[in-house]
Order: sequence, then C-alpha cells, then structure tokens
Amino acid sequence: MSSTTTPPAQASAPPPAPGRTTRLGDRKLAVTFISPALLLLLFMSIFPLLWALYLSFTDYSVTRDKPAKFVGLQNYVDILTSSQVHQRTLTTLAYVVGAVLLQTVLGFGIAYLISRRRRGQGVLTTLFLVPMMLSPVVVGLFWKFMFDAQFGVVNSMLGSLGLEPVEWLTRMPNALISLIVVDTWQWTPFIMLIALAGLTAVPNYLYEAASIDRASEWFRFRHITFPLVWPLLLIAVMFRAIEAFRLFDLVYILTNGGPGVSTETLSFHVYKVAFLGFNTGTASAYGILMVLVVLVMAQFYLRYLTKLKEK
Amino acid sequence: MRYTGPLGRMSLPRRKARLSAAAVATAMILAACGGNSSDNAGGDSDGKAAGPTAPATIPALTNDPATLSFIWFEWPAAQALEDFANAEYSKVRPNVTVEVNTVPNANWHDAMFTQFAARKTDFDIAILDSQHIGEAVTNGNILDITDFIKSNIETAAYDPYLLAAYGQYPQAETGQRDENASMYGLPLLGDTWTMIYRKDLIGDTPPATWDEMIATAKKCQDDNPGVNGLAFHQSNGSDAAAVTYNTVNGVYGGTIWNSKDRKIDGVINDAAGQKAMDVLVNQMKPLTAKGSGNWFIDEVNAAVAQGKACIAFQWIAASGGLLDPAQSTLGTSKEEILDKLGFATLPTQETNLVPLGGMGMHISAYVSPAQQAEALNFMKWFEQADVQKKWAAAGGVPSRTDALKSPEFLDGPPFNQVYADSVARQRDMWNVPEYAKLIDIENTNVNAALNGAADPRTALDTIAKDQQAVLDSSGGGL
Repeated sequence: MSSTTTPPAQASAPPPAPGRTTRLGDRKLAVTFISPALLLLLFMSIFPLLWALYLSFTDYSVTRDKPAKFVGLQNYVDILTSSQVHQRTLTTLAYVVGAVLLQTVLGFGIAYLISRRRRGQGVLTTLFLVPMMLSPVVVGLFWKFMFDAQFGVVNSMLGSLGLEPVEWLTRMPNALISLIVVDTWQWTPFIMLIALAGLTAVPNYLYEAASIDRASEWFRFRHITFPLVWPLLLIAVMFRAIEAFRLFDLVYILTNGGPGVSTETLSFHVYKVAFLGFNTGTASAYGILMVLVVLVMAQFYLRYLTKLKEK
Repeated sequence: MRYTGPLGRMSLPRRKARLSAAAVATAMILAACGGNSSDNAGGDSDGKAAGPTAPATIPALTNDPATLSFIWFEWPAAQALEDFANAEYSKVRPNVTVEVNTVPNANWHDAMFTQFAARKTDFDIAILDSQHIGEAVTNGNILDITDFIKSNIETAAYDPYLLAAYGQYPQAETGQRDENASMYGLPLLGDTWTMIYRKDLIGDTPPATWDEMIATAKKCQDDNPGVNGLAFHQSNGSDAAAVTYNTVNGVYGGTIWNSKDRKIDGVINDAAGQKAMDVLVNQMKPLTAKGSGNWFIDEVNAAVAQGKACIAFQWIAASGGLLDPAQSTLGTSKEEILDKLGFATLPTQETNLVPLGGMGMHISAYVSPAQQAEALNFMKWFEQADVQKKWAAAGGVPSRTDALKSPEFLDGPPFNQVYADSVARQRDMWNVPEYAKLIDIENTNVNAALNGAADPRTALDTIAKDQQAVLDSSGGGL
C-alpha cells in the first residue's frame, strides 16, 4: 500500500517579500485609472469653461495690459440688449431652421429611397457620405468658386438654360440661401445615415402584416415607417441643430458675413468681438450665453423625446 | 466585486458639491496665477504707449547661425522680401537666414495680435499696417526705437510723412511728422492706389478728374459689350471696402474724422461724405461687374488681366502680376500688355488725396535681446541708400527720397512713377488702438451699401454712429 502525502497548500505559497507594499485597493485602482482622463477633462474642458465664466463678469481684454475689473452682469446685459446681437440671432435662427429642415427632408427622402433598393445599397450609401468626410473649409472654398457670379459653374449652367446670372454670395437673401445649400450638401448624409439605420431596423413582419391587409404604400409609410423612424430622426435633428447653431467656418469662407453683416451668425459675431476688438470679457459672456441657450433648448428637446419614447 | 474604500458611499449631492467646490477652487487658483499679468514687456494701466525701448546702439551680434523671422500676409511682396533679404543681407550677415512667414490677408491682424496677446511671438519683426501701430504701441507689443532711429537712420533722407505714417505714434494729425513723437517702426514698403486704364479702349490720356473718370468708364462700358466700366475693391474683409470709400471721400473733399476731438459722427457723414457715398454707390457701382461685391486684390487683378475692365483701381504693390503674360490675356509679352494697359495717379476732384498703403517693420517686444539686436541691425542695413535702391530694383517700393528718384526705381514698371508722384498726396486712416473695430464697421457698412443690403445714407450714418461709440468707449463692449 502506498500512500501519497499532499503537502499543505500553505507550504507551497511563497512567503510575502519583505517590505513589499500592500496590494492596491479597488478604489485606489479606480482612481489611478480614472485620474488621467479626469485631469485631461479638468484642464481641457472644465477649467476653460470656468475661466470663461469668470472672465464673463469682468472687462478683461487679453491684449490690453490692464487688470480685469469686475463688472457684474454688465456684459450679459449689454449682449442681451444689443440690437447687433438680436440681428445675428435672427440670422442664425433663419439659417438653423432652413438648413436643418431641408437636410431632414432630403436626408430622410434619400434614406427611404435607398432602403427600398435591394442592390447597391452599400455603394450608394458610401457615395452619399463623401461630402461629410470633407473639411468645411475645403467645401466652402470650392463652393465659393462654383457660386462665383462671373465664372462660377452654377451661373454657367443657368446661362446655358437662358437664365440671367445670379449674385449668389453678394446679395440678400441669396447669400443666406447659398449658405443653407452648401451646409445641406455637406450634412444631409448625416441625417440620411441615421434615418437609414432607423429604416433598416423596422421589423419586416409589420410590412408583411400590412401587405396581407392590402394596406397602401402611403398607409404603410404613414403608420409603420414614419412613426418608428421619427424618434431616431429627432436625435439626428438635434445634433444637426446644435452644429448649425454654432456655424462659423462656412460663413467665414463663403460670405465673410456679408453682404454687410447680413449673414453674420452668432458664432461669427463672437469671433469678431473676441479677435477684432479683443474684448475678452464680453466675448466670454457671449460664449457662455450661447452654451446656455443650447443647453436649455436641448433639455426641452430631450424631454420631448423621452415623452415620445414613453408613448 | 468588493470595495475596500468608501467608493459610492458619499451621497450624490455631497459629491456634487465637493466636485464643484474643487473645480471652482482650481479655477480661482489658476485665475489668480494666470491673467492680469504684469510680467509682460510693457504697457501701463492708462493705456498709453509704454513698450520697452530699444538701445540707441546695436548690441553685439552673434556669429552663430540664426534666423530672423518676419510675419506678413501672403502676396508677391512677401516672397520678394524674403528673396531679396536672403540674397543681400547674407552678404553682410552670412550666418543669418531671413524667413518671411505669411498668413492669408484676412488673418493678418489676428495672427500678429493673438501672439502679442500671448506675450510670445514666433516672429522677430512684425510687418504692421500703419493703422495697427496704435494698438501695438498701446499694448506694449513693439519696441520704442526712437533713440535707435536718432543714432542710426538718416531721417532727413525720407519724406517726413512716410516716416510718420510707418513708425510714429501718436499719429501725425496733419500728415506731417512730429519730431517730438516716439517712433516704433521704419518703412518697409511704400504703397498707394494706381488707376489702371485700357489705353486701347479709352485712349492714351487718363481721365483727370473723378467725374471725368466715371463718364469715361461709362462710355467705355457702353461701347464695349462684355467689358465693365470699373473694377475696384468692394469686399467686407480686411480694409477693402473701407479704403475704397475713404478714397472717394477724400477726393470729394471729405474727412473721415476729427482726430483732435476724436469726433467721427458729423464728420464722415457731412455733406462731402454723403456726396462721396452717393458717387460710390450710385455712379461707380453700376459700372462694375455683376457679383463683384466681394472683390478685393486678386479679383480686380483677374478682371484687368482678362480684359474685363476699362478702368480699375489697385494697390501698386499688388500690380506686378498684371504685366506677366502668363497671367494675362491682354498680350503675349510685357510690351504687348503695356500697349493696352496704362497706369496713372488717381484722378482729382475737390482734392488730390490718395490712400496711403504700405507697411513698416516693427520689432516684437517678446523675443530675446539677441533677436531684437539682429532685427535692429537688419533695419539699419535695410534703410541705407544703396540697399533701398537694390530693394527698388528687386521689385520693392522704397521710402527714401533718393531711392524713389533713382533710376533703379523709376526705370522699373510704369506704376513706380505713379507712386513717386503720389507720395505727397497720401492720406491715412485712424491710427488708434480701436482701429480693428473701426475698420470692420466701415467695411461692413460700405459693403452693405454697395450690395444693396443697406441704403447708402443709412449706411453712412451707421458708420458715423457706431465708430463714434467705439471711440467713446475706447473699444470696449460689443
């Protein structure tokens, strides 16, 4: 009879090294991993925001070598009561509504047509996405040439149809319409992409059931497709509206805010306050107000979305 | 998963409060450490000129390889300067390489002044527009070189107004140099507008008066379908539309401000000012190409080079390309082009004023003493009589009177003679710290009037009111 003896497990484990520190606790480990990202966030986002908030209550100018003087809410009052700001707000509003509406209709329309195709969906989607990949500055520059009243391709095409040339970028309301067209050209694919995701997620059995009931195409769209895609579309609309609200690059390249200041958006005006006059305090207050507007509008919008979801 | 620490135990409001307090405390500490710095090169709380002062004599220069950097906007003169400096300055300072860094014209002011704001510049010499001087001096961004000029520069060799325009602050109110004023720069490139006219369409003799010029342009346009009567700067960017209005304003006897009383409202929009706006919008604009409301230097040059304009107005320093057959449809050689294009001084009317263009060299207060010494040495070298003549031969527009009268300059392109004839007729704009805001107000409103976005009279009154508000608030607010 043989017997085997198993050494006790404790005996095989190496003894703790002398002077070895105790293991990091879960909490310390979590803090260690999170802190780099947290610090980055703090210094790249939180601090600038708080710094801007602080400056917004002062008359500070980054170029004038004077100490910042606390002016209370004066900058905010000046901005909110300024006719210049009111004018830019209306311009921005007209732009946001025009651009987002057009992009939503076109984006959804294109997505709907693509979703009905059985072949070539992928290729078509990729092609439609190309404008979105380009830099807005590049887009602005080539559209500026295309819209040129003298040698632009757009007027050339109009001319070949026997139509008079149009001053796209130097007359109102053409200049604002041109901005909307260019933004629509570039960002309709974004709406299209999200709408397409929504459309492909609609369960097929709903359409099959509708077919059995001999439902018309319009009935299917009205009662199946649209209600199911609508919440997703609204999210896309929100993203686009926020983006459009802070439009700067296309204005800078295409019209420089002109004719006069007719196409100056709020962001473009903030840029002028900050870098032409170097009125840093006022520009900070202006920026903070713009953030607040977006936050408040987004809150209302999200609440509506939540209600829609609950239904 | 087990938690050895109190993670998750703190109540949410308490954590939020702590986080907020920490963030605010951090911001306040950093705020206390940052901003409001008085450790910059100069400037006092009264906003008066208080930049650091350059020594009267040039300090010892290094023999180590060095780079002298300029900042300017992108145009042919910038490349000409870099080529010229590297070819000629290297003969006296072989260890130095000159770099002229450029930005688009629209970003020129921002590119310089955002660096000044950071109290650190990647350029040693800023090429400032004459109107930028007030802003740079008031903020202590550039060196006071008054003593240096007294010891090293032959000031008597210059037209006093050019020295004043490109270096003096406060601005010479009468166009004459104030010998007691401080100097912050030296001329780099002189410039003014030239009238470019089609000799083959309107004859060899250019119109003498502004009214005659408009009538000639109209007749030329009527007689030559496809060719517009006029081409000029109308853009709302840079100083384009504003210079155009100020030029017409000056020609029709107007003034853009009363510098002594800092008065604009009631001055720029007086009867002469209104007449100028009426001439510009109702008589000149209808003779321009459709869609030319955003034209600036390049577009006007393109219209002339393509034979699409009877008469055009352009900065002399930007006119060189018009004689290049590769860029023109007017001829296959420079001579052929010159058979068709004439260059003349601006027509007169109530006055003979022309706009002052060009720029001066100004030394950044935020570079090392060694770089400042090299910059001073370059400026001393550049302002010598023989170097100015070589600069003229290289395509530059010098400011020394002897260089302006030299064969190197006058035997150059035909617009060189135009500049020489225009020097005594030049008028500048406001050279004040609020310049950037003043020019934007004027640019946008003149552009609006030119493009039908505002009634001309209303636009002029808006300019007067808004510019006055800027001056009265010393540039603060919106």
